[in-house]
Order: sequence, then C-alpha cells, then structure tokens
Amino acid sequence: MNKEVIGKLRRILPSAAVVEDETELLVYECDGLPLFKNRPDLVVFPRTTEQVAQVVRLANEYRIPFLPRGAGTGLSGGALAVEGGIVIELQRMNRILSIDIENRIAVVQPGVVNLHISQAAAPYGLYYAPDPSSQMSCSIGGNVAENSGGPHCLKYGMTTNHILAIEMVTARGEIIRLGNPAGEPIGLDLVGVIVGSEGTFGIVTEITVRLLPKPQAVKTLLAAFHSVEECSQTVSDVIAAGIVPSALEFVDAKTIEAVEASVYKAGYPLDAVAALLIEVDGFREGLEETSNAIVEICRRNRAYDVRVAKDDEERAKLWLGRKGAFGAMGRLAPDMITMDAVIPRTRLPEVLVAIDRMSERYGLGVANVFHAGDGNLHPLILFDSRYQDQVEKIFGMSEEIMKLCVDVGGSLSGEHGIGYEKKDFMDLVFTEADLNTMMRVKQVFNPDGLLNPAKIFPSRRGCTEIGKHTTTSTAEIGKKVEAILLGSPQKVQH
Amino acid sequence: MTESRLERPCGQGPSKNSAITPLGAGTQTFFGNPLRRADCVVNLGSLSRITEYVPADLTIHVEAGITLEELEHTLLQNNQFLPLDPWSGPAATLGGIAAANAQGPFRAVGTIRDWIIGMKVVEIDGRISKAGGRVVKNVTGYDLHKLYTGSLGTLAIIVEISLKLRAKFVRTATAIARFEDFESAAAGIAAIRHSAVQPVSCEWIGPENEVWLRFGEDPRAVDWQLRNLPAAEWKICEGPDEISAWELLRHRYNAFGPVVVRAIGLPTAMREIIQEYRPGAWIAHALNGILLMQIASAEDIGRIRQKYRAIIEKAPLEVRREIPTFGLSGAEYDVMKRMKDAFDPEGRLNPGRHVDGER
Repeated sequence: MNKEVIGKLRRILPSAAVVEDETELLVYECDGLPLFKNRPDLVVFPRTTEQVAQVVRLANEYRIPFLPRGAGTGLSGGALAVEGGIVIELQRMNRILSIDIENRIAVVQPGVVNLHISQAAAPYGLYYAPDPSSQMSCSIGGNVAENSGGPHCLKYGMTTNHILAIEMVTARGEIIRLGNPAGEPIGLDLVGVIVGSEGTFGIVTEITVRLLPKPQAVKTLLAAFHSVEECSQTVSDVIAAGIVPSALEFVDAKTIEAVEASVYKAGYPLDAVAALLIEVDGFREGLEETSNAIVEICRRNRAYDVRVAKDDEERAKLWLGRKGAFGAMGRLAPDMITMDAVIPRTRLPEVLVAIDRMSERYGLGVANVFHAGDGNLHPLILFDSRYQDQVEKIFGMSEEIMKLCVDVGGSLSGEHGIGYEKKDFMDLVFTEADLNTMMRVKQVFNPDGLLNPAKIFPSRRGCTEIGKHTTTSTAEIGKKVEAILLGSPQKVQH
Repeated sequence: MTESRLERPCGQGPSKNSAITPLGAGTQTFFGNPLRRADCVVNLGSLSRITEYVPADLTIHVEAGITLEELEHTLLQNNQFLPLDPWSGPAATLGGIAAANAQGPFRAVGTIRDWIIGMKVVEIDGRISKAGGRVVKNVTGYDLHKLYTGSLGTLAIIVEISLKLRAKFVRTATAIARFEDFESAAAGIAAIRHSAVQPVSCEWIGPENEVWLRFGEDPRAVDWQLRNLPAAEWKICEGPDEISAWELLRHRYNAFGPVVVRAIGLPTAMREIIQEYRPGAWIAHALNGILLMQIASAEDIGRIRQKYRAIIEKAPLEVRREIPTFGLSGAEYDVMKRMKDAFDPEGRLNPGRHVDGER
C-alpha cells in the first residue's frame, strides 16, 4: 500500500487504528467462510462516523477498493477483500447510544453485538427480535448488511422488519440519514433496499432498531421421529393448523450425533432419525393449549418421544444443542460448508431425500440442521480440506443442491447472503434483465464500484477469481464458538 | 391483457416519448404530486389472475390487478388472510396498494412492504424483470420490491406480486372507549403503552376522544387482554358488529378533507403534535407514531414540516401543485432522484407524481 495513503490515514485515525502488519492482517483474510481467502492491504478501526467518511473519501481519492466488516461471522464471504484494499472494521463503534423505553426503540452503533442489544433492553422488559445463531458474537451492522434471520424470524420477521432508520456513509464518503423512528418510508423506501445489500450500497454507521416487549411466556418442546417424512409432515401440519410458532427447527441424526458428543450436549434422543425443536410464545393465556395442540400433532405423526421443557434451564439446554450444532460438527469432519438455500416448506421431504442421495453419490457426509418452519435449509457438507478431490467435490455438490432448491421454486439464500460464495449461482434464479436492474440500482449507490467489489453479481463478467483453499478447520471454528458460549470470547486485540 | 402486451406501450409505445400511467382500480389517484403528463394509461385491471396459491406454504402469487377483496375471498377458503385494511378499501388492487404503499389501521403486524416476498415489473424500455422470490424467507439479490413499493408507479410497472400470508386470527375483538376530553384520551393512550396488551390496531380518534383497540390471535389471549385493559368504559365489538365498526371508521376517515396530512413522529409525540397543530379531525396509529390530520389550511403543512416529517395524504390539486407531497430534500432527495433517473431517464413513467415532482 502506498505510503502516502498510510500517512494520510494516520492523520485521520490514531496510529494503532491503522494496521498494515502482514501477520496481523491474516485475521482479516476471510470471514466465517474460510473457503475463500484474500488478505486486505490495510485494516482500519474507526470510532466515529466522521472517521469512516474520511477514510472512504481518501479511498476514493486514490481509487482504492474498500469494504466494511463487523464481527466477521458472515458465512458467504461478504467481508472478503476480494481485490485487497482497505477493510473498515467497525467493531470499535460498539456503543448503544440510547434506549427509548416508551417508544420501544434503540439507537446503536454498527459494532454492537446483536445479543448485547437484548441484554441492554432486558431490564425494561424489551428485546431485539432477530436472533442469528451467531448472536453472541455477530454485530448489528453485519446483520443489517446481510438482512440476517435466525430461528425466531419465523414469527417475528427478518432484520429488515426491525430496522427503522440508519445513518450511512455513502460510497463516496457523504454522510446521510435515512428513515425515521416510526419506520414509515417517506418517498422511496431506501432503508428497505439498503438492508440486505451486503455492504455494497454504503457503510451503515448508526442504526435505529425496533424493540419488542418480551413475551409473557414461552413453551419449548422437542419431538423425535423415526422418519424424515413424519417429521416434515409435522411441520406442515403445525402450519396448517394455523399455529404460528416462534421457532420450528429441524435436526437430523447426524447433527444429534455431533451435538451429543460435544459440550452442547442437550439430551437429544440418539436413536432419532430426525427431531423438531418447536417453540411458541406470547400471552400466558392460551399458550398451554397451543403447546398441547402441537404435542398432539407430533403424536399423530408418530413422534415417539415428545418432551416439553419444564423450566428455563431445560429450555436453554434444548436451544444450546441447536445453536451449538455448527460448532459441534468439528467432531464429524475437519471442515464443513454451510448451505443456506430456501425451499417452499411443502417440498421438504423430497428435497431432503434428494440431498441424502447426493451425499451418497459424492461420498461426502451431510448433516441437516435448519429452520424448517420457513423452509430455510442448512445442509452442512462435511469434508477434509487436506484432500483436494474432496474440496472439488463440495463445489459440485453445493451447486447441485442449489439447483435442486431453485428447481422446486426456492432460492439460493435465506439469511446468509450471496456474498462471494454464491455469486456465480445468481444466474440460477435471475435473468440477465433481473441482474441488470439490480446492477443499475447498485450503481446509484456505488457508482465507481470501489465499495465491496466483486460480490453478489456473477463473475463471468471478468471479475477476479480467487480460491485459495481453507486452512482454518471446522474444529477451529468450533473451538472459537465454544469459547464464546462458555463465556471467554476470543477477541482480536489491537 | 398479458404481461407481454405491456412490453409494447413501454418499449415502443404509441409514440416513443409518450408518458405512461399505470392504473389499477384508481382508488389512490388523488395521492402524490400532480401528474405532468399522461399520454397512455395502462389499465392493469384485467391482469388479475392468481398464478399460484399453495396454502400449505402460506404463499400466494398474484397479478397486480387483483383486488384485495378477491384475494381475501380466496384466502378465506383456507382460513388464511393478508392482515391489511387500507383506507382505500377492498376494491383497491394489490398492485395499487403496493405502488401507493396504502395503509390502514391494521398494522401492528406490518404494512404491505412486510408481506411482499417478490415482484415482477415491466420497465420503461419494455423489459420484464423480477426481484425477491417465491419463498417466505429470502436474501438472494437486492430487495428491489421494497423500492417499487410506495414508488407510485414511477420506477416500473408492477405486474406480479408474491405475498406471504398468515393464518386467520382464530378470534378478533375490538374495544372502543370514548373519553371525556383530550387529556383523558391522551392518558388512556399512555396507559395502553404501559400495559401488557398488544393490540393489532390502536387508534386515537379526535376530536371525539375515542380510542379503538383491535385484538387478534388466540381466543384466550384476546380474552385476557380484554380483561386487562386500562380503566375506561370499553365497549366490546365482535363478529359482524366489529367488521361494520371498522368499515364505518374507514368512511369517517375518507370524509376527512380537503387537506389531510400524515405526520410522522415518535408515539409519545402524538399528543404534542395534536396540541400544537390543532387538527379539525385526526386518527393516530398511536403505537406506531403515525398521525392522520385534517388541517385547516395548506399553510399548516409548512408549519408542521418545520418540526416533523409529513406526507400530504389528500389535498386539492392547486395545493398539491404548490406543496410537494413528501417534502423531500437534501441528500435523501438526491439519492431518490438518481434512482428515478436510473429507472426512467426520460421521465416517462407517471411524470411528476413522485420524487421528480418534489421540486
């Protein structure tokens, strides 16, 4: 990197907030998807919106690519510095600026950890609803970029349904404020299209989120089945009965095996072919009856073991297994990739059978743990990156899974985003005309293409190809997640 | 009418520069900045099929010209519904509701933007493009349907919409109280905010000092909420009475005028806004921070905008010629104007009606 640029950056930021040391930069060569890596030239750690804007203006002046990064937990390579350049790391902008209890809103900086918002709002009986599995470490800025989901978005909606207003540094370094605390679009709904734009429209530096009153009561139950069909039918029957569960999660035998052998041991029945973790919440009145109705539906579909959590402790344990499932996979294979395709939920049984057959054909293990209620699959393809043939196979298999899901009327990603990982599959769902229109909208926000380049759009149009394969194993990621869950977060110190 | 026939007016048109106005049921034509030109009206009324409905997936895919009434009728057969009740009424088309971002009191579960999962549009050059998809959860590509929603047909013509649905509430009930005066109604609203009840509509109606609360979900939860209302003389409406009560409120709102604005502020600011601008009549979505006010004169719009954001809901043409509907300015206006230019560089789609009519 040009010494002049570094010098100028050090005038914008304290010296320690500009990192150019190659070893330190290694941490930023990938996000939660270690399959693709590229080292940025620089990482900067701003603390204010004005600093972000100045860095962006400088990058524009020297035509250097730049991109925002939060906690780096993304699973689609959204924070990958494909063309090098400057990573604007927002973790130090981590203050909760205000909580307005009366109006049920919070104003936060992008580096605030998702769960910390709910923790700060808890004394007032409020919480922030979207809860990605990484909520103990992922940042709200990253959530806004990816339009993150989580188990509870089945009832409460995705990030986009909870973001009311933002402050954003544009791709050319201007600071703009959009939206309002009522969440009512005035003119065009720019906030609506910025949420989920994967950090390609601007760098969000302040976020007003909606808080919800905590439900009076919660019921969580686990139902174990001897067949995937019975389990899938239960999902359909619960929805058909008009019940709106707050979560409806599917866990298969392989996942149970991994979870039960790990620190996330939740007491899932080891002989189950598939199990559902179902949660309903709301007013205390009527919840018992709803929970009973679900138990009845499970039994009708021949669930052989149905447990309703008796207390919060048991409830937390059931969830620990689900939320720790990704981390536990290290016990089955050294590496894995997480797919994120969505299908109409009625197509679950056939798609799961087809994925099972693919798994046999490719000779790669697949564990399924996903949001069944909204058809958001997470096949976890297990492999060993030391064997090049396996690495090649996962590319083939993941492509086949995506094609299958699109063919039944589904989509590439339910919550992780397209990022770098899935951009070449966009053609499966979108026509040239669709992509051109999206590109035109991108150009309105990001006219020079310097902000987060080579994402979302297929690379056949001549983008850089990188593909240095993984050295960070699933086991390592598992260890990191474990450390966070056990309360000793491994923070990167600068 | 088919989509491909739509490509023609957009692509070549009666003449190459003709201005095109998409039209649904025409229930929202009074809204927005005045049209500068309309050479060719594209009537979407006959583009009204349900292209696919999978009740078990809780999704439906419709053409833009279907009316809300037809849609709800179909959904009801499977005990499902789209929880919306725009003031424009059930005759409005889904395309029109989306284009105008039309809303009503039923909004605790969200407005139309929260139910749209995908859209197909015809652009000004005649090409068809889509955004979103057909599944309830999806982050594939940019959410351009958010951009089209509320753009008043000025970016592209909405021709197909995919929606997610929900199971019909097992039971609904509405509680209505008439308070003695303004202050006691304000206190009633504050008490609701502090209570455990979660109405799906919460309307503060003046100058009659009425508060309307609608509840809907599990019957036992509805009952519990009715039992736990803040103290007041609540009259409970259910069944056909409840339906006709809300229908009546819709007519009351539609009689507001000639100048009506939608002011936006924090829920706690509603009282202050009403006191400061003294509307002749108002309906506040009190838990959402949205206040519909019938104001005495057009000059009040400027006064309100000095402190709050406000959209002109309704006003005579001569007022709308003078005062922009959305009151956009600065960087926000610039981005929106660039967006309009990116979709419709020659300004042929509903010229002047949205952002391009703000200055």
